[in-house]
Amino acid sequence: MKKQKVVILDNAQQNKHDLDAIHKIQEGLSKVDQFPVYTPDLQWFESMVRTEKENSRKKLRKELSLFLIIALFILSGIIVSFYQMPGVFIFIQIITPVFIAYYTISRISKKVKINE
Amino acid sequence: MDPLIKSAKEGDHLAFAILFKENYPFLVKYLMKITMNPDMAEELAQETMAKCIQKINLYNGQSKFSTWLISIATNAYIDQCRKQKRENNWRGQEEVYRKLKWHFESRNEEWNDALEALGKLPVDVRVPIVLKHYYGYSYDEIGAWMKISSGTVKSRVHNGILAVRRELKLGEETEGRHTRQRTTK
Repeated sequence: MKKQKVVILDNAQQNKHDLDAIHKIQEGLSKVDQFPVYTPDLQWFESMVRTEKENSRKKLRKELSLFLIIALFILSGIIVSFYQMPGVFIFIQIITPVFIAYYTISRISKKVKINE
Repeated sequence: MDPLIKSAKEGDHLAFAILFKENYPFLVKYLMKITMNPDMAEELAQETMAKCIQKINLYNGQSKFSTWLISIATNAYIDQCRKQKRENNWRGQEEVYRKLKWHFESRNEEWNDALEALGKLPVDVRVPIVLKHYYGYSYDEIGAWMKISSGTVKSRVHNGILAVRRELKLGEETEGRHTRQRTTK
């Protein structure tokens, strides 16, 4: 019975120290909130939004055209191999899923390692 | 949903600008607390706003706009830290809080030891502590933003607080007394 009482007291004391530490952190961080922060004017934000939208539109256009060119290149290669070199066509059909599976597994295991 | 957010979603530049202007100080101050570097905070605030413009269609209005900004800013900072680590450009943890300390000194503000202890913690521990104990977000929310389970967030916060306590030497006397009592028995 006595032993249990000591444990409860210890826990309460630990919690008190935790709360003290939290209070000190809050105190320090609230000082950061008092720092003056320079806020640019509305025009600056508006031009930033416009530039950013323009950039993302350009990026999308670039990525889409790159995608279409690569897709066209791959497709024409496959069609040529299908009619001219059936052996190569079958080899590509086998090697592609194997490569995709290997790449996916290696990426997942890398992510797991990073999170660990 | 807020009419400003609705207009921003429809592509209104001015609505976006007003939203950002209103939330800019809050965002920079949050980033200052987690990065402990005012220059990096401003840089990341711009990156956050750029990401926000790209992802505005994903905002469903269930949480406050400022909360959504915080979640994007948190991920932007974590991504930047990972990139720096990969490029072997990772500056020592000690240097992290030096700039903030300098800003405190230049404003004749008293430096807080708890901030120094917080600055010594790794990013993935410091961020959840700030989010939990300063902004009051739940473990689930923080876990969802950082893409980890709420249990992991809880243990990181707990271990972080213990590390801060150790750094501030809180409770060392009592711990010492207990060990002394135990050894004499």
